[in-house]
Amino acid sequence: MVMASTLFAMVFYLASLFLVVGLLYRIATYAGTPAPLKIPTTPAPTTQAGVVLRMAREVVFFESLFKANLWIWSMGWLFHASLALVLARHLRYFSEPIWGWVVLLQPFGKYAGLTMLAGLLGLWVRRLFVERIRYISTPSDHLMLVLLLAITLSGLTMTFVTHTDVVAVKNFFIGWLRLSSAPLPTDFVLYVHLLGVAVLMTIFPISKLLHAPGVFFSPSRNQTDNPREKRHIAAWASDLEK
Amino acid sequence: MATIEVGGKTYETDEEGYLVNLSDWDADVANHIATTENITMTDQHWEVINFLREYFEEYQIAPAVRVLTKAIGKKLGADKGTSEYLYALYPYGPGKQACKIAGLPKPTGCV
Amino acid sequence: MADVAAPPYRVIPIIPALKPGAMEGVKPFIAGDKINTAIGFPGELVADWHDKAIAKMGELLAKYRSLKVYMDACVHCGACADKCHYFIGTQDPKNMPVARQDLMRSVYRRYFTLPGKLFPKLVGARDLTREVLDEWYSYFHQCSECRRCSVFCPYGIDTAEVTMAAREILDAVGYGQKYSNEIIGKVHRIGNNLGLPGPALRDTLEGLEEDVKDATGIDVRFPIDVKGADVLLITPSADFFAEPHIDSLVGYAKVFHATGTSWTLSSMASEAGNFGMFIGNYEQLRSIALRIREVALELGVKRIVVGECGHAWRVAYSFWNTLTGVGDGAEAGDHFAQLLQKQLDHRYKQPTHICEFTWDAIERGLLRFDKSKNDRHIITFHDSCNVARGSRMGDFAGGQFEIPRNIIKAVANNFYEMSPETTREQTFCCGGGGGLLTDDLIDLRVKGALPRMEVLQQVVDEHGVNFMATICAICKAQFTKVLPIYGFDRRLVGGVHQLVSNAIILGDN
Repeated sequence: MVMASTLFAMVFYLASLFLVVGLLYRIATYAGTPAPLKIPTTPAPTTQAGVVLRMAREVVFFESLFKANLWIWSMGWLFHASLALVLARHLRYFSEPIWGWVVLLQPFGKYAGLTMLAGLLGLWVRRLFVERIRYISTPSDHLMLVLLLAITLSGLTMTFVTHTDVVAVKNFFIGWLRLSSAPLPTDFVLYVHLLGVAVLMTIFPISKLLHAPGVFFSPSRNQTDNPREKRHIAAWASDLEK
Repeated sequence: MATIEVGGKTYETDEEGYLVNLSDWDADVANHIATTENITMTDQHWEVINFLREYFEEYQIAPAVRVLTKAIGKKLGADKGTSEYLYALYPYGPGKQACKIAGLPKPTGCV
Repeated sequence: MADVAAPPYRVIPIIPALKPGAMEGVKPFIAGDKINTAIGFPGELVADWHDKAIAKMGELLAKYRSLKVYMDACVHCGACADKCHYFIGTQDPKNMPVARQDLMRSVYRRYFTLPGKLFPKLVGARDLTREVLDEWYSYFHQCSECRRCSVFCPYGIDTAEVTMAAREILDAVGYGQKYSNEIIGKVHRIGNNLGLPGPALRDTLEGLEEDVKDATGIDVRFPIDVKGADVLLITPSADFFAEPHIDSLVGYAKVFHATGTSWTLSSMASEAGNFGMFIGNYEQLRSIALRIREVALELGVKRIVVGECGHAWRVAYSFWNTLTGVGDGAEAGDHFAQLLQKQLDHRYKQPTHICEFTWDAIERGLLRFDKSKNDRHIITFHDSCNVARGSRMGDFAGGQFEIPRNIIKAVANNFYEMSPETTREQTFCCGGGGGLLTDDLIDLRVKGALPRMEVLQQVVDEHGVNFMATICAICKAQFTKVLPIYGFDRRLVGGVHQLVSNAIILGDN
């Protein structure tokens, strides 16, 4: 039991390191790569404030996806919104005393696990049974869904069926945050859940999950439509003028 | 490089059958290319080809369709100075098909 | 020319079933040695193409944030899958935008990402083999860079950026396309895509002056190379040459005449089109655009106006300021751009689209029309992809949709919209854009026109539409060729300024 706890603590330190360093590296790469030409998909906002609004609509409501296909929009949005709630709810295992807004979210966060499951299944059904989506799917696309389903199902099992010792889990993570060890309950379902999360954190910076930071750096969405009013030029392009 | 054979002689063409060397052109070659385009050359066809050749000689390019129709109209009467008349002679478009038979390079760009 | 048949309309326009391999091996002619070397590319496929291609890809990933982010961000959600006109028309799954991107993404993953290096099969990564390179040549020449997919992508992934990068890599290893590269050579050598030399250009313009005089009794001028003119008009060379393009040129001249504008064309910059964009090569894009800067400086013009050409307007509106300084708002220390920007008159947008120019004149009451002159036309408007999704007109988002329509309504009585999911930013490409307007791709062009033809048929049936106005030289040429194959009259397509030309009242009365 102690060994398992230490092992999980180590795994999470590594996974967190990988996630943070990997993401920072990615974001630095995106930010450091020039965008030499103005390529917003028009009609596009003509002001910076408009761009912020456009990005917000994309990130919060998935505006473009809504225009594209209602099935994938509804399932995708359901999954992401549920995930946000579930993640927020999980903050209770990392804060002491629990923040007020996290307490308020508790009932919603619990049932969001179910809607998250529905969203994931809806997305997978589409990937499995719609011919053109099956055609473009790689094994990793399916495995990613399997991984998310494993995390969701193990989490739901602990919430609604077997009930793990959440007080011990919380002690473990509070301890983990303070670099001191506390025992983790011996619970197979919990192990599956935690291992799944660690794997997810590890592959985040090197997989298609990069769409999360990527969306903020997409020139077709984040550029202001003002090429005639302001000269836009990348350093490497400006060197051609010398 | 593709070639065509006319009267025992071999002529270089591009992938679409346009002559590579303008100087290779003569009436036999024109008739041969016309056959490959499913066109039987008549006097009316030749009037167009001859004008294209003359114009090219002067300007190093085939004439605009408008210039061509106007010139044909002046020569053969207003009823023939229409793009319908030219399309009837050269269904794939007077610009390209007639140029090919006249041994001129293909007009490129958004045409 | 092989006989080409139009695909049948879809009974209900649903997403077509896949036909894998339907367009496999379809490809345009490859550029030969002479054409390639004239514009600085290797004459033929180089021996070490593999290493060169990967190196070029690495270079582009470092130079273009778009490419870098787009290679990483796709989740294979399939939002774009049914949005491409070439997919709808051909049913080839590799013409789905995501699948087209994946042709490159699979190679990116193999050479530039950890999972692709370790577990290629798992993440769909693959080596760049000769087969893959050939597949690139084929399918990256079945994309017209129209950006329709990017409208629907939740991350704004723009397949045009990927296609441009792929073509740039292909050119770097000597595997370029004949049509585009030959034209780029001509624009440098002669001044326009057609290869129309100065004397022929002047002869054509004189002919037009005669024609307008005959038809209206008014001396409308078509000036060329005039120093000290206020306005420099940059228009696609097809406007000097092809039908129905030339009717719009007459329309521009009449608008300039009626507004008393001092204007000129240029023999050296007698081309608005810029195929450097189609092949994704920044240096070509830039050097072709620089001709306009040089002419503007030489003639001392105050204003630059661009004629009816879709991709040219994207280049002019979005890129000219960057490439040449035609625009406003350069830094004080930016001597390159300042030199030109000091000369231009900033009461006007630089550059100005001819539709902006005409609409402004209409709003200021400078033009009068006899709308009945267009009564024989029942008109619809086809938004051209590069104007709709890569540029703007006026000073509000979406002006590129309103201004041409406003002009049509000001000069004609009968106007009907096509189905809204196929117009404005959701417009379908004509099927011939992006460097594909060549006879060797006619089968693809006919199939790619299918979604536009379907909705055109609707307005023809419902409203008796007999004129589809557009503001793009490629659209005009493509439709002229494709319309008859779908059973329409080829003269059903025409320019917005062709309608202006019909209705404008010249003279003093």
